[in-house]
Amino acid sequence: MAKYVVTGNSVSLNGTDISASVARAELVITSTEVDVTDFASGGYTEVVGGLKSGSVSLDFHSDFGAGGLNTVLTEDLVGTIGTVVLITNNGTAAASETPSFTANVLINSVSPVSGAVGDLSTFSVTFPTSGEITKATA
Amino acid sequence: MTIAAIREGIATNLRTISGLRVFEEIPDQVSPPAAIVQLNNVEYHQAFAGGLNIFRFTVRVIVGRAAERQAQRNLDLYAEPSGDSSVRSAIESNRTLSGACQDLIVESMPNIGSITVNENDYLAGEWTVTCYA
Repeated sequence: MAKYVVTGNSVSLNGTDISASVARAELVITSTEVDVTDFASGGYTEVVGGLKSGSVSLDFHSDFGAGGLNTVLTEDLVGTIGTVVLITNNGTAAASETPSFTANVLINSVSPVSGAVGDLSTFSVTFPTSGEITKATA
Repeated sequence: MTIAAIREGIATNLRTISGLRVFEEIPDQVSPPAAIVQLNNVEYHQAFAGGLNIFRFTVRVIVGRAAERQAQRNLDLYAEPSGDSSVRSAIESNRTLSGACQDLIVESMPNIGSITVNENDYLAGEWTVTCYA
């Protein structure tokens, strides 16, 4: 058991490793709250978990070079479902201490043009997941 | 991509300025006009998988004795945003340094002042160069 500093989580999109162009990655899994409060709730609300959903947030460095990020995540993909695989704990392969999470996501935006003068060109996305998010440890 | 290759690339670009002597290490003796390329700081882990590190260099150009009028005029030429003697223009003339980095930018010229070398006061300017590699 060990806490860790993020230096190199792995990110792939539709089977292509794009880790080297990713500065931040976050997978959030949530559930809706279904209110089941009744007269027996003792004056408090009661909730149970409803449908689960998720989102994948990524901060990118733009790269139009051969094989670069912007040749993998193109504007043509907007509106389509893509597959994102995230490997945690600075891992490069799924294992017990570096589990991977696979999610189908709706690619709902890309920013092929981004940045102010003098700045590194970066952009951020938040893709909603579609369907089950699976975890693998091997 | 190595620090040495980036430094050498910056020096190579600076050598396109006619008459400017360029040093990749601090020289024992200075004969102006002379440019010295020095690593200032490094920011690691800017992307996963070692995808990006940021190297900041300081280019110091010594133009002549502090009291010389011609030295001040020469510094004006080196400080121009463009032109044959422009330090910014020369360094950015090959922004990947022929593959030594992914991109670079000459961000500013933050300091102009005197520098003492071997007990002599010289007029010098400093440029900040940010390299993404």
